[in-house]
Amino acid sequence: MTRVPLYLRSRIEEVRKRFTYELYESQKLPDWERFAITWIVLMVFWLIITSDLTLQGLALGLPATGIVAYFMRDFLTDDIRHSKHLVGKLLYFALLYLPQYFIIMAFRLLESNIKVAKHALLGDIRPGIVKIKTDLHSDTGVTILANSITLTPGTLTLDVVKKLDGTYLYVHWIDVQTLNPDKAGEIIKGDVEEWLKKVFW
Amino acid sequence: MLEIIFLLFGYSMMFFGALGVIRFPDVYTRLHAATKCDTGGAMGIVFGLALMADAPIIVKAKLLILLMFIAMINPMISHAIAKGAYRYGVKPKVEVDMYAWDNP
Repeated sequence: MTRVPLYLRSRIEEVRKRFTYELYESQKLPDWERFAITWIVLMVFWLIITSDLTLQGLALGLPATGIVAYFMRDFLTDDIRHSKHLVGKLLYFALLYLPQYFIIMAFRLLESNIKVAKHALLGDIRPGIVKIKTDLHSDTGVTILANSITLTPGTLTLDVVKKLDGTYLYVHWIDVQTLNPDKAGEIIKGDVEEWLKKVFW
Repeated sequence: MLEIIFLLFGYSMMFFGALGVIRFPDVYTRLHAATKCDTGGAMGIVFGLALMADAPIIVKAKLLILLMFIAMINPMISHAIAKGAYRYGVKPKVEVDMYAWDNP
């Protein structure tokens, strides 16, 4: 790579950027699927918030959430990976993916609470700010990953920087064990990233 | 019986969070105590109340939605406070600081 002339290197960068963009464009969902997913999610939210299961509530809620879902269809579902049929996707998401993720995060939150209580009682902290790399690119995926890192034991996300070869996270770690980025990433991220890579890209 | 365990867990976690806010040395480590213990404590208390309340099932579903919003919003606020403190110039008391290496 050192002997490549300058114009060729810029050309390679341009081709790689266009390849990433086309990959992103080909993995987008079709228009009506995004509309349907947003509508179903908003309808469930409406039913729980109003707590009104009569015919009048349904007749008021269906068009209202439909109008909102038509305008807001890009916000929620822009980053979902294009994989299967709509019904299979929704069933997989609601029955398998979400409960497993919630149970994993609940136990990690319990562990982190006990760890912070132990640190507050004993005072044995050795803080530091380390840098780790993830393979996720989309905004929603990186947001959920950063929130999960904040809730896991002993870590707090400070900043996110997007580069071309991946996304880098700066993490404030209350008890630094290693400075190697790969090992630190394995310890900090755990299996949350594998979970997020199944749905977001 | 189960809801008593959840309520006691929530109250003790709130107490340890306040203790951590008093005892830790700088902004970022105090944020650790504030974020995690508040999230866990509030979620424990709200979940215990949702088990204990004498209400129809849809009201309990509302409390569960509230629990999900607590878990989503609390880390975002802590991240905003940490980044704002760093931009303002509060130096962390740390052993390594890779953020200062990359953004001099």
